[in-house]
Amino acid sequence: MTEEDATVKEPLDLIKLSLDERIYVKLRGDRELRGRLHAYDQHLNMILGEVEETITTIEIDDETYEEIIKTNKRAVPFLFVRGDGVILVSPPLRQ
Amino acid sequence: MGTNVGLAPMVDSTISVITNDGRVIVGILRGYDQATNLILDECHERVYSSKTGVEQVVLGGLHIVRGDNIAVVGEVDDEIDQGLNLSATRAAPLSPVQH
Amino acid sequence: MLFYSYFKTLVGKQVTVELKNDLAITGTLHSVDQYLNIKLNNVHVVNEQKYPHMMSVRNCFIRGSVVRYVQLPPGSVDVELLHDATRREARG
Repeated sequence: MTEEDATVKEPLDLIKLSLDERIYVKLRGDRELRGRLHAYDQHLNMILGEVEETITTIEIDDETYEEIIKTNKRAVPFLFVRGDGVILVSPPLRQ
Repeated sequence: MGTNVGLAPMVDSTISVITNDGRVIVGILRGYDQATNLILDECHERVYSSKTGVEQVVLGGLHIVRGDNIAVVGEVDDEIDQGLNLSATRAAPLSPVQH
Repeated sequence: MLFYSYFKTLVGKQVTVELKNDLAITGTLHSVDQYLNIKLNNVHVVNEQKYPHMMSVRNCFIRGSVVRYVQLPPGSVDVELLHDATRREARG
């Protein structure tokens, strides 16, 4: 990697360093993605690989009015994500 | 600039438009522009319900549908469409688009 | 232009487009434009029981602005090509 590639001057530079790494993406509608970043552009349109999507829904119990938080997960091999739904992107997950 | 994904082949044929608020409008496409604004002729709305069959509401004459409020434009296959039993079709209305 | 160019290489492939109204439509990618509007041929809606609203539609135009995801065909994604194109685009 050249020095020019490694400097972080603006937010998108940080994403550039995450190319081919596993990232976390938070989306509108209580959706989250974890996957390998293969492509992105200035709108934060992205292509992710080996994706796991988590959708969180809150249901109210009819009788007790308790909030029941449910999470649904699914796996998708390759996913194009439209940037307008993206809330935040986190660099590589450290396990 | 560039090519717009053509609605040209659909002009003067029956189309089904899904709007961002979840409505289904069927009509004849008379024209369109870059922003997906549409001119629709002889429209009716198909109102879906999980309790009763599909209700067809005549909207009549020419309408302009603003592109920003359009989700999907489908080319209606008349043969399949005539074979549908809409009065026996029960389904919840489509959800609105949430940006 | 990266994704516009990339989607053009997928013309003829089967994709599933998931919309912001939770509708998911599978079909053969026919064309794409600079707004990432998508035209699909030979479509069917995922879970047609629940969503019979497009039963008589075989070909459709999907407005780019209502797309949430596009599921891509695993066999035709060249990740090296995507990395190179992304680096080139990032350099401006």
